[in-house]
Amino acid sequence: MIFEGRCWRFGDNIPTDRLVKTQYVFEPMEVIVRHVLEDLNPEFPAKVQPGDIVFAGKHFGQSSGRAIATKALKATGIGCVVAETFARTFYRNCFEVGLPALEVGLNPDLAADGDQIRVDLVSGEFTNLTTGVATHGAAADPFLVTMLDAGGLISLASTHPDLFR
Amino acid sequence: MNLVEKILARASGRSTVEPGEIVIAKVDRLIMHDLSGYLTAEVFDKRVNAPIPDPERAIMVFDHHFSPPTEQQANVLQRNREWARKHGITLFDCGNGNLHHAVVRHGLIKPGMIVVGSDSHTPVHGTLGALAVALGNDSHAGTVLPYGKAWFKVPETVRVQLDGTPQPGVSPRDIALWLVGRIGEGELNYRAVEFAGSYVRGLSFWDRWLFPLLCVDLGAKCSFVEPDEVTEAFVRTLPGADNDLLVHGDGEDAATVLRFDVGEASVQVACPPTVGNVKPVDEVAGTPVQWAELGGHGGGRLEDFRVAASILNGRRVHPDVRFNLVPSSREVFAEAVREGIVLALHEAGATWFPPSTGSNQAYNMGALAAGEAMISTHARNFPGRNGSPEASMYLASSATVAASAVAGSISGGKS
Repeated sequence: MIFEGRCWRFGDNIPTDRLVKTQYVFEPMEVIVRHVLEDLNPEFPAKVQPGDIVFAGKHFGQSSGRAIATKALKATGIGCVVAETFARTFYRNCFEVGLPALEVGLNPDLAADGDQIRVDLVSGEFTNLTTGVATHGAAADPFLVTMLDAGGLISLASTHPDLFR
Repeated sequence: MNLVEKILARASGRSTVEPGEIVIAKVDRLIMHDLSGYLTAEVFDKRVNAPIPDPERAIMVFDHHFSPPTEQQANVLQRNREWARKHGITLFDCGNGNLHHAVVRHGLIKPGMIVVGSDSHTPVHGTLGALAVALGNDSHAGTVLPYGKAWFKVPETVRVQLDGTPQPGVSPRDIALWLVGRIGEGELNYRAVEFAGSYVRGLSFWDRWLFPLLCVDLGAKCSFVEPDEVTEAFVRTLPGADNDLLVHGDGEDAATVLRFDVGEASVQVACPPTVGNVKPVDEVAGTPVQWAELGGHGGGRLEDFRVAASILNGRRVHPDVRFNLVPSSREVFAEAVREGIVLALHEAGATWFPPSTGSNQAYNMGALAAGEAMISTHARNFPGRNGSPEASMYLASSATVAASAVAGSISGGKS
């Protein structure tokens, strides 16, 4: 599972409340997706392209465990999300909704806005193709890779009915 | 094995589990509030739509709303009611208090259970010796409701050992906030956090509650206090009073032990923009506040209103401050009535609100204008969570909140 795309860089400790603000939670996804992360970078929802990669700092996706935050991020069309560290419900929700996620450890200088980056989820390898900087992140657990292959948790439960029975 | 490992092993039908393993375990309780219930129902109806074999496992509490202010919000509650009724899910409608307090008060959480919910403070139920973990809506809709199970990665455990004697005037809430500052936000990511030590053992159930409550800000998956005579005495006060699933750890050392002397802590305030931005009250004393509130996951306890009543005894709320009182459950409000606290605080100029989660996310109350500040017992202070992103939320103990309501500015002094 390899992803390559243009980097959108975000900072530390971003809560799910700022990915999808409270006032949009009950709106349809077409509306929500136009406001994802707008407080932190108003250009992001307007200019994000399919296959781009969001790269956040530490404890990304803290606060509320609402899966809608990961669904909205996936709905922007990004190929995967990278963070120095993730809040655990956010990391879990990423795989459950079918959004690949890689944790690379504390290192704010790995990439900047606009860099071309490459992520190998199975090996955990992270490469900044613009600068040549590389590092080893946390390889996804095989169970989570299976979940992504199935298209997320609900699809996994229907295609592997014995797992949860 | 410790308490978390034993509960996960039993619920996944294994003799042992190791940190790092992924297991699929039986869930005893799914708790949802009006927002997470709505989002879960949407996913369930659109993508799962299977029979729910054990609907008594699932509980919904309307706590963000006590009376919907808009048609859209009324529709959300109506949708939730219809969905709960259709599937036989127990619903506690508006006015029943904060989700976490309500389910405990109704005897729906017991030691040894596996409890899941979308609310990120779900791990607070580790105070009872339950394994309580926040999951996302897709787990609830996709595996918990139709199969009664969820997947879990067995966490590594960190023991936070609290010993010593607090300085005079330093409350358990101050020590809990101080710990977030000392340990650091996200520093215990994915871990199980055990709160132990002579200080924790000496606390009442509802004061212990303030510690597992904060574990999400440390990044933890779950938290617990090893059940003891305090836990068991508390469980005997609950409906049902049963303790059948009770589990004790074997008492071996945790992978990591962090030791703290609570005597080093002073009165603390968590300042914007995050819960980890904790400062001694002296550093922010004098900051004007227009709103003060006792309520939320960690506040609105009988203990909080007693403290406020003692501080407001013979004094009045400052004319520039609105002081909101939000009982965490109907039981707390009834007790406050019996103790005369409701009238005393009302006459001192504070305002009582219905049992609910109060200004948490400003769904039903608690929006702030740009430049306004609130000091509260709430659990979160991210900008934009309560109205304007230019407003400020300070988190503190009930004593600091009440003293600030009297002073008109942040004040740690009782005098």
